[in-house]
Amino acid sequence: MSVPPGAYVILAAVLFFIGVVGVIARRNPLIQLMSIELLFNSANLVLVTFARVWGNNAGHIFAFLVITVAAAEAAIGLAIVVIVFRKTRFVDVDEVAALKG
Amino acid sequence: MHDYPLLFVIWLFPLIGALVLWAFGPQLKSLGGPIGSAMVGVAFVAALFAWNDATTGAGAHQALFAWLPQFVFGLQWDRISLVWTLIITGVGFLIHVYSIGYMAGDHAFARFFAYLNFFVFAMLTLVLSDNFVGLLVGWGLVGLASYLLIGFYFERPSAVAASRKAFVINVVGDIGILYAVFVIVAKIGAIGYGDVFANVAKFSPGELFAVCLGLFIGCAAKSAQVPLHTWLPDAMEGPTPVSALIHAATMVTAGVYLIARCAPLWNASSDARVLVGSIGALTAITGAILGCAQWDIKRILAYSTMSQIGYMIMGVGVGAFDAGILHFLTHAFFKAQLFLGAGIIIHNLADEQDVRKMGGLRRKMPFAFAAMLIGVLSICGIPGFSGYFSKDAVLSGTLAHGHPVMWAVGVLTAGLTAYYMFRMLFVTFLGQYRGHVDPSELGLRHPELAGTAHAAHAADEHGHAHAPAWLMSGPVALLMIPSVLIGWLDLGGDASPWGRFFEPVFGHFEPAAGTPPESLTSLVVLVLVAAGLGIAYARYGHPRALIEAIPRLREETVRMPAALTNRFYFDTAIDALFVRTSFVLGRVFGTIVDPLAIDAGVREAGFSAQWLGHLFRSFQTGLVRAYALALAFGAACFALYYVMIGAGR
Amino acid sequence: MIGFVLLALAMIASALFTVTAKKPVYSVVGLLANFIALAITYLTLHAEFLAVMQIVVYSGAILILFVFVIALLSSGTKPFEAGPNRMPRALLPAALFGLVGLAAVAAAVGGTIFVPATIPGATGEAGVFGSVADFGTALFTRNLLPFEVTAFVLMVAIVGVVLLAADESPLRAPKRAQRESITGPREPIAR
Repeated sequence: MSVPPGAYVILAAVLFFIGVVGVIARRNPLIQLMSIELLFNSANLVLVTFARVWGNNAGHIFAFLVITVAAAEAAIGLAIVVIVFRKTRFVDVDEVAALKG
Repeated sequence: MHDYPLLFVIWLFPLIGALVLWAFGPQLKSLGGPIGSAMVGVAFVAALFAWNDATTGAGAHQALFAWLPQFVFGLQWDRISLVWTLIITGVGFLIHVYSIGYMAGDHAFARFFAYLNFFVFAMLTLVLSDNFVGLLVGWGLVGLASYLLIGFYFERPSAVAASRKAFVINVVGDIGILYAVFVIVAKIGAIGYGDVFANVAKFSPGELFAVCLGLFIGCAAKSAQVPLHTWLPDAMEGPTPVSALIHAATMVTAGVYLIARCAPLWNASSDARVLVGSIGALTAITGAILGCAQWDIKRILAYSTMSQIGYMIMGVGVGAFDAGILHFLTHAFFKAQLFLGAGIIIHNLADEQDVRKMGGLRRKMPFAFAAMLIGVLSICGIPGFSGYFSKDAVLSGTLAHGHPVMWAVGVLTAGLTAYYMFRMLFVTFLGQYRGHVDPSELGLRHPELAGTAHAAHAADEHGHAHAPAWLMSGPVALLMIPSVLIGWLDLGGDASPWGRFFEPVFGHFEPAAGTPPESLTSLVVLVLVAAGLGIAYARYGHPRALIEAIPRLREETVRMPAALTNRFYFDTAIDALFVRTSFVLGRVFGTIVDPLAIDAGVREAGFSAQWLGHLFRSFQTGLVRAYALALAFGAACFALYYVMIGAGR
Repeated sequence: MIGFVLLALAMIASALFTVTAKKPVYSVVGLLANFIALAITYLTLHAEFLAVMQIVVYSGAILILFVFVIALLSSGTKPFEAGPNRMPRALLPAALFGLVGLAAVAAAVGGTIFVPATIPGATGEAGVFGSVADFGTALFTRNLLPFEVTAFVLMVAIVGVVLLAADESPLRAPKRAQRESITGPREPIAR
C-alpha cells in the first residue's frame, strides 16, 4: 500500500467529527439520523482499513454486521420520527423535551 | 487478714436502709425513722465489735474486686478508719434518733432518713476505702448526699440555690483530687494507699507538691476552707439534724481524714505543710471574725464550724496529726450537741432562728440552756472540758512543728471564738424574751440582710401531735458526756491514752530544742479566752446590757460593717468572676455561636445539597442535542486521556 | 495516492454538504455521494464485496427509506415546521470537542505512519482476499452466530417499526373501540 493506513484513520476521524457536529448542531431529526450514518461509516472505514493491513477479513465481517445493524437502527429511528410528527406536527428535536427535569 | 466480713456489715447496712427507705418510703411512713436509726445503730455496734481488729497490727482488710491488675479495690480497717467510723455511726445514730422527733409530721419523713442513711453509707465508703479511687467515689457520693439533704426542702428556692452552690464547689474539689490521682497513677502506677505510701520517694518535690495541692483543693472544698468556704453558711438551709451530722461532725471533716490518711505524703513535702497550715489558720480566723457578725443561730454555728475545722486542718497540715484528729473527735461531740440544742430551740420557737428575737430562754428552756452552755464551754476551751485539751494540743503542736505565725493566729482565734460563742449564749438565753417585739425595733427592717433563713415549713409542724420530748433531748443529753469528758483522753502528753493510740500510725514527734512548753500555749489561750468572755459579758451579759438589750441590738445591727455583712465579699467575687462569666459565655454561645456557626453549618449542609441538586437538575434540559453534546465532551475527554496517558501503547 | 486524496476530498465535501444542507432531500443526496465515495475507497482497499454491499444496502435501501420518510413527513401543504432554537450556541462547543478528539487521533496516529508488508495472503479457504467466496466462507463458518443474531435483530427492528408506526386508520377504529371497551383507552406515546 502506498497510502499509509494512518491517513485512512485520520480521514475516518474527520468524517466522525463532521457527523458529531451534525448531530449536535442540526435540529431536524432526519438530518441527525443521517449524521449518525456518517458516524457508522467512519467506523466501517477504519475496520476495512485494518482488515487490509493485517490481511484478516474479520474486519469485513464486522463492517458488514455494522451495516446491518445500522439499517435496523435507521428503520426504528425513522419510525419514531414519524410518530412524533403525527403527535406534535413538529419535526424538531428541541420540541421533544418531555424529559426535562 | 485480707478477709473481714464484719466490714460489710458496717459498710452496707446503711446502704440497705437507704434503699429500703427510698423504695418503700410512702408505705413505711413513720416507721422510716426507727428503721434508719436501727441500720446505723447496727453499724455502730459492729464497729465496736471490730475495735480490737483495728488496733492489732496493721488492722484488717477486705478485698472487694480488682478492676485492673494494679487497681484493686478494697476496704481497710485500721485506727484512723476506726475513729472516723465510730464517730460517723455513733453520732450518726444519735442524730437519727433525734431526727425522729425533729422531723415528726414532715410529709417526706421517710425520704429524709433514706438520705441520711445514704449519707452514712457514702461517708463510710470514704473512710473505709483502701485506695484513692475508692476515696474519690465516697467523696463524690458524700457530695451528692449533701446536695440532697441541703435541698431537702426543695420547694424553697433558697434551699435549692444553696444545695447547688454546695455541689458545684464540691465538684471543684473533686477535680483537684482527680488531678492528684492522675499524677499518682502516672508516677506510681497503683492507687492503693499502701502501694503509694511505700513509694513516696519516687515523686520529685514538685510532683509531690502537685499531688498534695490537688488533694488539698479537694479538702478545701469539702471542709469549707478559704476560699472554697462560701457554701457552708448557705448549707444551713437544710434541716438542723443535717447541719449537725453533715456540716459539723462528719462530712466537713473528710478533708481532715484525707490529710491524716496521707500523712506520709505530707511528711515528705514541707511546702505542702506550710500551705495547708496557712490556709487552716486563715480559715480559722476568718470564720471567727465572720461569726461575730451573725444573727442567725445556725449561721453562727456554721462559721464556728468553719473556724474549728480550720484548726483541725492546721493541726494535721503541720504534722500534728493526733492533735488534729483529737480536735475532730471533740468537735464532733460538742458541735453536734450545739446544733441539736439549737434545733430544740428552733423547734420550740416555731422555726425562729434569729437570736435577736430570742432572749430569756434560760428560764423557758432550761435543758436547752444546759446543753448549749456545755457546748459553748467546750468549744471555747475552758479548762476541764474536752475542747480545752484538743485546742491546746493543736496549738502547741503547731508551735512545736515550728510555725509561730500560725500559732499566733490560732491563739487569737481562740479569743474571738470565746467572744462570739458567749455572745450567742448571752443574747439567746439571758434577759427578757423578745419574741413579741416588733422586728423594726430590733433593726430587722430587712431580715434577709441579717442572714436569717426563712422557715417555710412551719405549717407542717403544728396540727400534728408532737413526738415525745425524750427523742430529741435524749441524744442531746447523751452527747453532753463526751463533750465534757472525751478530751481527758489526751491528758499526759505522749503517754496519754490518745497519744499511745496513734503512735503506731504517726510515730513519735520530738519537738526541736527551745520550743516553748505546752503550758505556755495553755496560758496564752486562757488569757485570751477570758478576755473574749469578758468583752462578751460586758456587751451582752451584764445586767445593764440586758436592760438595754433592744436598743443595743438595734444599734449593732444598723452599724455592722458592710464587709462583715457581705462576708468579706467572697460571694460577690465568685459571682463576678465565675457565675457572670458563665452567663456571658452562655449568652455568647446561645446567640452567636449556635445560630451562626453550628446551626449555620447544619443549615448549609442542607442548602448545599439543595444547591447541588439544582445544579444537576439544570443539566436535565430534555434536549437531545444537549445530551449529545455531553456525550461528545466525554468522548473528547477519553480521547485526550488515551493520547496523553497512552493506555495500552 | 492521488486517488486517495481525491476520494478523501470527495468524502469530506459530501459529508459537509450533508450536514449543512437546508433541505433534507439535499442531505440525502449528499449522503449518497458520500456512500459512493466510500464504496470506491473500499475498492481501493481490496474489499470488493463490502463495497458492493455498501452501495446495495446502505445507499439502496437505507437512503431510500430516508427519502420515503421525508416524503411522508412533507405530505400536505405545510413544510417542515420547526419551533424556536433552544440551544442557539451549540455549534461552537460541538466543534471544539470534535476538534479535540480529532487532534487526539491525529496525535495518536501521527507518529506512527507505518508501511506494512504486502498482503500476507487471503484468510479464506477459497479465493482472493476480499472476494465473495472469501467473505462468504468466513461469514458462514466462523461468524455464523453473529450472522444469525443479526437476523434476529433485523426481525426485531421490523416488528418494532410496525408496532410503533401502525396507522390509526378508520378501518381499524371498530376493532379499537371493541378492544378499548375491555382494556381502557391506550395512552399516547409522545406528549
